[in-house]
Amino acid sequence: MSESQKKILEMLAQGKINVEDARRLLDAVGSGEGDEGHGTAGHEPAGDREKGTGAGHKYLRVTVTPGEEGTNGKGNLFQDGNVGRVNVRVPMSLIRAGMKLKSLVPPGAMDKVNSALKEKGIEFDMNSIKSEDIEDLIDALGDMQIDVEGGRGEKVRVFVE
Amino acid sequence: MSRPPMLMHIRFEKEDRSFGLWLPLFLLLPLALVVLIVLSPLIIIALLVLWPSGWGLWALKVLKAAIVSFWAMRGLEVDVQNSSQHVYVSVV
Repeated sequence: MSESQKKILEMLAQGKINVEDARRLLDAVGSGEGDEGHGTAGHEPAGDREKGTGAGHKYLRVTVTPGEEGTNGKGNLFQDGNVGRVNVRVPMSLIRAGMKLKSLVPPGAMDKVNSALKEKGIEFDMNSIKSEDIEDLIDALGDMQIDVEGGRGEKVRVFVE
Repeated sequence: MSRPPMLMHIRFEKEDRSFGLWLPLFLLLPLALVVLIVLSPLIIIALLVLWPSGWGLWALKVLKAAIVSFWAMRGLEVDVQNSSQHVYVSVV
């Protein structure tokens, strides 16, 4: 069992995440490790791989690649439907600083966020995110990779590097 | 301790026109320090006035969060383009 899987189970045991979240995270971690098995993971020592899962990552990368039709849109870049290629690199330190901004949100506003999430069908209490969980969450981001392909062939990738 | 951001590169391209700018953020740091020192008596008075209501602590936290966020911006890169426009922002 990898360090990430242990962390997910610990978070579940502590009630920080629910069973469904844990299942999704374990699936994500499992598929990530499956991919690694075909890649370079077999060539590096297990200790290095464990270290690389969280602390070694420095940036969150979000890329959007247009489909075969090419870069779409000719008008204002900041209007819907006009964006073609996007490449955003966010330092993990900035994400860490951003997540700590949560403590500045007044409690009343947090309740509004919770009720808005509930309306969308997301049962999540924003108050349950503690500052000590932030490091765990950021470590867990190291195992995350999202690949989405749109109807027009555009590809969205979110990963940590 | 990480280094603060030193430069910000902003570039806009629209068809055949382009505009690029290097902002020397490292020059803003001493300037911000001077402004902070000059305004410190006012800041202290404001904090003392606001402290009983709880907003003083909140203002201090906001100040700290703003500094930490600015410090953590090094490495941020945003590159957005379509067939006729291109916006690029990079913090180094």
